[in-house]
Amino acid sequence: MFPKLDPLLHSELRLAVMSILAGVDEADFTYLKKQTGATSGNLSVQIDKLTNTGYITVEKGFKGKMPRTTCKITAAGQEAFSKYVEALKEYFK
Amino acid sequence: MEQNKEMTASESLQLITETFNKNRKDILRGSAKYFLLWGALLTAVSLVIYLLWHNTGKPQWNFLWFAMPAIGYPLAALMGKYKTVQPQNEVSKMLSYVWSVFGAFAVTLSAIAITLVPMHVTLIIVIIMGLAECMSGVLLKNWAIIIAGFLLGIGGAVFAMTVMGEAQLLFFTLGGLLLLVTGLIMKLQYK
Repeated sequence: MFPKLDPLLHSELRLAVMSILAGVDEADFTYLKKQTGATSGNLSVQIDKLTNTGYITVEKGFKGKMPRTTCKITAAGQEAFSKYVEALKEYFK
Repeated sequence: MEQNKEMTASESLQLITETFNKNRKDILRGSAKYFLLWGALLTAVSLVIYLLWHNTGKPQWNFLWFAMPAIGYPLAALMGKYKTVQPQNEVSKMLSYVWSVFGAFAVTLSAIAITLVPMHVTLIIVIIMGLAECMSGVLLKNWAIIIAGFLLGIGGAVFAMTVMGEAQLLFFTLGGLLLLVTGLIMKLQYK
């Protein structure tokens, strides 16, 4: 019996965002957009979903005069991501 | 990238691996520009001081070393100002810490040697510079950088004890060129 995969992470864009954030301290919206190749609207929606579940936190601020949105993975997000990867490995045993 | 695309377990794992690797490469390639900046600056400053000292016979030109952080830090800040903010991973953070510690040691020891306790600054700086370069190679898992750092530190120490006067500065020029090469290796390694 295969373990159930976290439906919130089992989505292409959300998984890509989590994969990026799992390896860095924090990343801003522009960087995530560049790395994933997603549109701003689509990325915003997925970031909101991850934020609402408590997997990431979003902080809005400024870099000089430009607005800057910074995303950071939470401890719960790290744990969920690790569990997701462990569950994926079961599929290949 | 679509948010609702159905993925198999294999596709998910592939996506995680590819995203992780691409992110790591981009971050380390982004760090390379600081090696290029400090390498170019060290090469230029050491050569200028060497030429001035050689042509005038005045070692006081060594005070120009303090121009290096004065030019380098604002330039480094400017380089990151107009681009997408590059996130930091563990390796890029460690690289930054290693070279910041080197910079702090080099500037403080130079200031102490000039004002309080005379010491063989070239010998000390070339050793810790070799050490910092070696550590960078370890962090980047690159043997060429590790060996180059080792040779710079050990060779520089021998050079500093056997060659006197302005000729010692040429080893810093070599160190600057080594930083430039390290930056280029990183650009190529994480292409």
